[in-house]
Amino acid sequence: MNLSEEGSIIERCKSGDREAFGSIVQKYMKPAYYVALGYVGRPEDALDLSQDAFVNAFRHIKRFDSSKSFFPWFYSILKNLCMNHLNRLHRRREESIDEMAEEEGQIPIPIETTDPETSLVRKDLEVKIGQALAHLRPKEREIIILQHFQDYSYQEIANLLGIPIGTVMSRLYSARQALRRELERMGVTY
Amino acid sequence: MADDAFKPLLMGYLDGELTELEILRMEDHLRGCAGCTSELEEFRRLKEVTQKMRVVMPDDKYWEIYWSNVYNRLERRVGWILLSLGSILLTSYGLYYVIARLLLQGAIPLVIRIGVVALVVGLCTLVVSVLRERIFFSKSDKYERIKR
Repeated sequence: MNLSEEGSIIERCKSGDREAFGSIVQKYMKPAYYVALGYVGRPEDALDLSQDAFVNAFRHIKRFDSSKSFFPWFYSILKNLCMNHLNRLHRRREESIDEMAEEEGQIPIPIETTDPETSLVRKDLEVKIGQALAHLRPKEREIIILQHFQDYSYQEIANLLGIPIGTVMSRLYSARQALRRELERMGVTY
Repeated sequence: MADDAFKPLLMGYLDGELTELEILRMEDHLRGCAGCTSELEEFRRLKEVTQKMRVVMPDDKYWEIYWSNVYNRLERRVGWILLSLGSILLTSYGLYYVIARLLLQGAIPLVIRIGVVALVVGLCTLVVSVLRERIFFSKSDKYERIKR
């Protein structure tokens, strides 16, 4: 689906065609999940929030300029929902004395290896990387997930996030640097 | 320590995302910069380690029902809006009916009538205030605090 096809589908959505919106959802549901996962860490929450974001996007679709790409606009809605979710969690944690002992916002990102012959050492490394990722800033996690773990090209990331390729590269640099430092801090050798 | 100007290009070089001209520029720089060369090696090791790793994806069945979940939420939202509208209309009418009868009955003491009027005026003020706030926020950019 190119930009002009997407634009005409969005126009149909603007006139209330929910089925048309279905093809937009099918196209972007996985990137939406990755972005949300980068923010909230838990797969169930990421699925839930990404679905809510699509609902909100459909409600406000008339405000969207259909000559532009859908995802960067949708991304703002999704990010806002994720931030609200994290703020709620943070408030709840502040209210609970027991949970205050837990470190804030550190839900490990679930990572798995595609290699069927995964050793225990490798499994341990997956867990450690997931924990290290949880300590990064959401923006860093997000770009690492898209590029490192899902193999999106720079151009695809730039289109998804609505940022120039130069920004993709500099964000990726600081994110990888942060991940390396975090792994070092945890004493992980690889 | 890597050279600041080449840091972003270092990523593009590692991921094979540079143009031929940029590759030549990068390689030329790498020959004379020990900081960038050692950083590149460290990033390369990290990339190798994570190459076969993926974030955990929900099962296919979740993706199959993903759109129907969104559709159901869209439908439910319309239902909730209609339900809320109906409730507001009926409750308002009921309140109006009860209050009008109360105020018109001569037997009701003055202090109770004043209390009822104060209650209604206070409630209306709060509703108007909340509505005004919601309208103001819907006009301003809800996402302005989010840096892109």
